Amino acid sequence: MERIPFSVGNEGRQVFWNAETFETFLFLFTAIALLIFAYGIYRRWQLWVALGKPETRLDRLPERVKALLINGLIQVKTFREPYPGIMHGLIFFGFMVLIFGAAFDASEFHIAEPLGWAFLRGTFYLVFSFLMDLFGLAVLIGVLLALYRRYIRRPDGLGYQGKPDNTADDAVVLLLLFGIIMTGFVIEALRIRVTSPSWEVWSFGGWMLAKAFTAIEPEQAKLLHKATWWTHTFLSLGFIAYIPYSRLLHIITTPANHFLVSLKPAGYNEPIRDFETAETFGVGKIEEFTKKQVFDSDACTRCGRCQDGCPAYLSGKPLSPKKLIQDLKTFWLTQAPAAAAARRAVGNAATGAGETGGRGIVFKALDRIDAAVDRMGSGTTAGAASAETALVGGVIDLHELWACTNCLYCTENCSASIEHVPKIIGMRQYKVLTEADFAPELQLTFRNMENNSNPWGIGSHLRADWAKDLGIKTLAEDPAVEYLFYVGCSGSFDDRGKKVSSALAKILKAAGISFGILGTEEGCCGDSALRGGNEYLSQTLVQANIEVMNRYHVKKIITTCPHGYNALKKDYPNFGGEFEVYHHTEIIAELIAAGKITLKKPVEGLFTYHDSCFLGRYNGIYDQPRRILRAVPGLKLTEMERNLAKSFCCGAGGARMWMEEDIGERINNLRTDQAVAAGAGTIAVGCPFCLTMLSDGIKDRKKEETMAALDIAEIVWRAMDLEEAQPVAEACAAPQ
Amino acid sequence: MNIVACVKQVPDTEAQIRVKPDGSGIEEGGIKWVMNPYDEFGVEEALRLKEKNGGEVTIVCLGPARAMETIRTALAMGADKGIHINDPVFDGADAFTTASALAAAIKGIPHDIIFCGQRAIDDDSAQVGAILADLLGIPQVTVVTKLEFAGSAVKVIRPIEGAQLLIECPLPCLVTAQKGLNEPRYASLPGIMKAKKKPVDVKNAAALGVSADGKAKVVRFVPPPARAAGKIVCADGTPEGKAAELAKLLREEAKVI
Repeated sequence: MERIPFSVGNEGRQVFWNAETFETFLFLFTAIALLIFAYGIYRRWQLWVALGKPETRLDRLPERVKALLINGLIQVKTFREPYPGIMHGLIFFGFMVLIFGAAFDASEFHIAEPLGWAFLRGTFYLVFSFLMDLFGLAVLIGVLLALYRRYIRRPDGLGYQGKPDNTADDAVVLLLLFGIIMTGFVIEALRIRVTSPSWEVWSFGGWMLAKAFTAIEPEQAKLLHKATWWTHTFLSLGFIAYIPYSRLLHIITTPANHFLVSLKPAGYNEPIRDFETAETFGVGKIEEFTKKQVFDSDACTRCGRCQDGCPAYLSGKPLSPKKLIQDLKTFWLTQAPAAAAARRAVGNAATGAGETGGRGIVFKALDRIDAAVDRMGSGTTAGAASAETALVGGVIDLHELWACTNCLYCTENCSASIEHVPKIIGMRQYKVLTEADFAPELQLTFRNMENNSNPWGIGSHLRADWAKDLGIKTLAEDPAVEYLFYVGCSGSFDDRGKKVSSALAKILKAAGISFGILGTEEGCCGDSALRGGNEYLSQTLVQANIEVMNRYHVKKIITTCPHGYNALKKDYPNFGGEFEVYHHTEIIAELIAAGKITLKKPVEGLFTYHDSCFLGRYNGIYDQPRRILRAVPGLKLTEMERNLAKSFCCGAGGARMWMEEDIGERINNLRTDQAVAAGAGTIAVGCPFCLTMLSDGIKDRKKEETMAALDIAEIVWRAMDLEEAQPVAEACAAPQ
Repeated sequence: MNIVACVKQVPDTEAQIRVKPDGSGIEEGGIKWVMNPYDEFGVEEALRLKEKNGGEVTIVCLGPARAMETIRTALAMGADKGIHINDPVFDGADAFTTASALAAAIKGIPHDIIFCGQRAIDDDSAQVGAILADLLGIPQVTVVTKLEFAGSAVKVIRPIEGAQLLIECPLPCLVTAQKGLNEPRYASLPGIMKAKKKPVDVKNAAALGVSADGKAKVVRFVPPPARAAGKIVCADGTPEGKAAELAKLLREEAKVI
């Protein structure tokens, strides 16, 4: 086969230039690197499956593949934060292109050229060269951005409570990347220095660098080229081999975690099905997590996005979702090797010593290697003391565990699809159900729910008193209504909440909606019990409500409380409660759009809308409340800095409503400050918990004179201007 | 150590109490029944004693069938077994009859220390513990807020007006529990499940050989008078006038000054 020399019009380059004899060695070293890589993955796989309850997430494959492509390949979640998103994108996409380029080179040399089909020629070569240099430069910029961010800018997310949590590995990986690209450019530059074809101006990086090398004699340059070539090769192969043993493993685990993402509704809680025979409940040991939950921790890249908006962390509590996941990971890595070894021993005993054949030999060899590696590692990993540490109360501090408001910021903003909240609930279940060791104020709340089906413990016979003078019928009186207005505990017992219930009832009446309430037959929705770890109580409450609702053949439900809304929507179906559930902002937005209610009276002032977690992140209701507020004449709407999916919790979710908050700042005060910063006079909310918390925040910050918190329903009712003027009863009539 | 804790099932403190039209008792429909809170302090203290010194806790309760729930609650907290005194003749039993039945049940079992609530929150009679100790012929210390076990005796603190008494009482004895003695535990779920299988001995009046004659008889239940509306003092509108009017009303109408 005759080779046509490279020339203008037949541009190209000789693959393996100046390295013609290296091919065999390259193959050998590549094979070794791949073996080290494969063994690392195999070892890690053993750790992934070593402990945890089984959980298969292989259903709905098209959706999983989509999640993998969108978040693993295109990295949509990663790009949500501009700086780290672009930084990571430059490195990731740059490397992707470079790997394809290397594959092109290899196929040109090993397949195309021998067959006479050389394709890296001419314009294609020029474009290819240009792209390789461009993306090489992209990686370099990405790495520099990363170095600058991690070591100079040092954002809080890359640390914990102001202290960076950098590891040596972080630096090694970045330097590896830097080294690979730099040596790549140097090789190219030295080659161009020696061969200097005019078209190599397209390899602009190497071309420019070559200018700096003109002082080097061609022979020297060739020698230097050889040395750099090997450096580049070893760095690249080292990179591949290093993947399973470093943070680079996220190249595999993070996309895998996107594939394994929960396809259940946001924040879904898998109910405990067996109360009768189980000995323990919840997660008290790491092996009581599911394997997927354990795997989550290996997908974490310590990027810190979860922490950046965590209300507990930002208010000075010890909880950081990142730290929690990392602590679980560290603990898993101390526990898993022994569990994996035990599994292997069981496996060996099962297959029997007499097994022969290729498979047997391979596995036996692997076992030997494993045993040797275990011996080597035994000095450094699993210390006896760390293995004995209790998961709950030891690895995870109880203050961390109970600081979580279940706001879902972490999960929503995690770029690795990690699910934090179910882990928290699992460990709380252990403390509450198995150990019955938890805060006394929460015990009181649970007793109140048990005895009077509301967290305050107010007599359950008083539940419908708010509706006494409003002429609202109960379903017992008239079951033939379209909607059940499930009032909930706040709407029934809390003075502020009662006003919201009353406002909504009046709106519904004015709009001619057919609805009724359950009256004293209504019970607590169970959300706070569930999120406070008392699944047993929660299920009792849920089942009691479902029994009543099904007895009246309830189909559609309206709630004012997002906690009840979320529970009715996501938890009740597990127990035979299938309802269409609407939040009152959904209904009101509809009524306005359909012209069934008119907002005529101006409500002046600058308002801001506070996204309730259980409405926003949990149920994606962001638009309706804002649409309603925009429809109110005179009302000006401004946004707080933290809004929508990044909204800042009021501090009441996850049963925190009923607990003391004695570490750090009060979360509701921080949220109030954010509203103050937005210049808002009124904080509009769609949640009675938020209403209480923000009203308290306004009081605590001494802003009562200038600020107020109002529910959307109250604002709408005011704007409808239908309140009949009631004569104010004069206690002491003016003397005649 | 053999510990006995007596418990009573009472309406929840928040329950709406309605008197039957004939005044023979209260309407039981819609009432949430709970363990008398003072008895709960007793049960908790019994469990703490057991956990520290070993032994067994027996729950004794007089009440109708529904009272079994309360016994199970105590068993879920960690008590070992129960005696349920259930006989229609004991419906509306007075303190003496109740104490007699409890005494008869407790006489049959070993008992080093007996806990009762200082009173029940439904009838507030505060007599059962005292009569029970008397019937059993053992010493009693009442309204206890702190208890320390000292071998063959207990050292307890009993608050009195303006002071506290430190009392040492030999075993066997009876202690009535006051708020402050402890923080009763929340039953664990395994505890609740195990409680379903713990033994509860059901006894009637005949088995105990107790008559229900009693010493006191409830003639009639009468609801407290509805609270009258408040009165706003207007007078002539001046602070001085209002104050004078208020003083006059307090002296002549309310007769409190």
